[in-house]
Amino acid sequence: MIETKNLIKEYDVGSQKVKALDGINLSVDEGEFISIMGPSGSGKTTLMNIIGCLDTPTNGTYRLNGRSVSDLTEDELANIRNEEIGFVFQSFHLLARNSALDNVMLPLKYAGTSKNEAIKRSNEALEQVGLSDRSKHTPAELSGGQQQRVAIARALVNNPSILFADEPTGNLDSKTGTDVMNIFKELNNNGQTIILITHEDSIAKQSNRIITIMDGLIKSDIKEKHEK
Amino acid sequence: MLVEESIKSAISSIRTNGVRSFLTALAIIIGTAAVIAVIGIGSSAEKALEESIDDLGPRTLSIFPSQRKRGGISSGFNPLVLKDAEALEKNTEHNWLVAPAMSGNRQIKYKNSNMSGEINGYLPVNFEVRGFEIGHGRLFTEKENLGRKRVIVIGSKVPGELKTSAKQILNKEILVAGTSYTVVGILSEEGSTGWQNPDDDLYVPLLTAAQRIFGTDRLGWINIGISTDTNVDYVMMTIERILRQKHDIGPGGENDFRINDWSQYSDLRRQATGIFTALIAGIAGISLIVGGIGVMNIMLVSVTERTREIGLRKALGATQRSIMMQFIIEAVLLCILGGLLGVFIGTLLLFLFTSLNDWIFYMPISAIIGSITFSALVGLFFGIWPAKRAAKLDPAVSLRYE
Repeated sequence: MIETKNLIKEYDVGSQKVKALDGINLSVDEGEFISIMGPSGSGKTTLMNIIGCLDTPTNGTYRLNGRSVSDLTEDELANIRNEEIGFVFQSFHLLARNSALDNVMLPLKYAGTSKNEAIKRSNEALEQVGLSDRSKHTPAELSGGQQQRVAIARALVNNPSILFADEPTGNLDSKTGTDVMNIFKELNNNGQTIILITHEDSIAKQSNRIITIMDGLIKSDIKEKHEK
Repeated sequence: MLVEESIKSAISSIRTNGVRSFLTALAIIIGTAAVIAVIGIGSSAEKALEESIDDLGPRTLSIFPSQRKRGGISSGFNPLVLKDAEALEKNTEHNWLVAPAMSGNRQIKYKNSNMSGEINGYLPVNFEVRGFEIGHGRLFTEKENLGRKRVIVIGSKVPGELKTSAKQILNKEILVAGTSYTVVGILSEEGSTGWQNPDDDLYVPLLTAAQRIFGTDRLGWINIGISTDTNVDYVMMTIERILRQKHDIGPGGENDFRINDWSQYSDLRRQATGIFTALIAGIAGISLIVGGIGVMNIMLVSVTERTREIGLRKALGATQRSIMMQFIIEAVLLCILGGLLGVFIGTLLLFLFTSLNDWIFYMPISAIIGSITFSALVGLFFGIWPAKRAAKLDPAVSLRYE
């Protein structure tokens, strides 16, 4: 599903070139639940940006579902993000003035889905995260855990092949964090491919593959089978 | 659905920053209000002018005596006299009404009231040419003119000046420069023509005026009433030919009279009003441009403030075009709302102005549509650059913008 070869990302900092990624070879299969770990500055965010199609590599190739995406235009990448990728962010990133339903519908608006179809699918996604009774509430009227669940529903609404979550429990207390992780596990059990970025071991251990990044390189890649 | 989303987002953004949006749109509001009010006043003035020209009924030419010059030196004054009017009257080429007149200020007395009034020597036909109508009593007759009778018709405001009423003064004697005249009629209210008010004046038969009041056969002017379908140039040529012959002016000599075509003045006045309106509206239009710069400024602020939102929308699949559309729609909507409010205020101002001045309220729809369209174009033009900046934001960077 994901296939990267020798991914390199360089940034210009003043007159110097800084390598954020220094040759990443990674392959991800459908249905995996992966955690990417690493200290800040290790390049894990850059890696997520590139495999999440938010950014393009300086060098190397990236194939998503068999299609090369390392040299697409920005609008082509936007379409791929819309169709193939769902994002969940640490700070939820909900539109404050819109209802939960409107927030969830947003990707479908950019997909050009008809309004009735979009409302139907958004309600289904909210139901999936257990928030059908909160669809008319704005983010301010929801708890942190509920807000993150709305964000998950938004990430799922266009049936993405990969769900990216960037520190999804970072702004939540441990109990609601556990609730959110349970949703991810359940989604994964139903076959959803998930890539999670975290610096917490306890979170990472709940996935079944942990990749550690250090100085722009993969330091370790451990597959484990959790029965939990 | 994307357009709907953009409009929804724009409305919510404008509403959330209500005060800021209003202040931003203020220049647009003021500009549109000014444009609308000025165009409205100009159009109402033109409308009023058109109606007053229609009021004149048949077209009127006026002949005035004029100083004649030879080699730049004034060579005396050849007046218009009664005989000139008679000569014009005798002409059969044209179906015109010849209305000679003379006028002068005299002391008027009725009982214990005094006033200084403009006495006009008129023929009955003069009233017809000017479209005056009698309110009480009657006009004097041609026979009374020939008989140099001491009869007088007075303007509608004269009885008030003399501290009496139209009904009381009718058929009474008033003193004009010490001589008594019988008031045979009072005109109905005619209204000011702008340079003179016939309601304040008094009218006696022309020959009475010539002999008994002014003691001269010199005319102040001769009005020529012609129907609207007359060839004015031909009429003017005829007048010129007759008067030059009467005044014994040889070939190459200059006229010692001039002919005014009042409708030409109306055209000039209309043109001047039009130019003036366009000028003021243009200046007011500049404030719309200035308003546009304000809109651009605030849109740039808005783009910066909403960097994270833009990043998120891009992460969810918004293309550059859809981000651009969102911000352009916001700028255009802001300007259209400002334009609508401006039209409302401008129309209100025009309404106040016209009702205070007793004008006809007239607001051309094209001015309303035009100024709102112009506002929208201002929003479009000044919204493009901020919207482009929003569209070009890097999604990975803007998502993490603090």
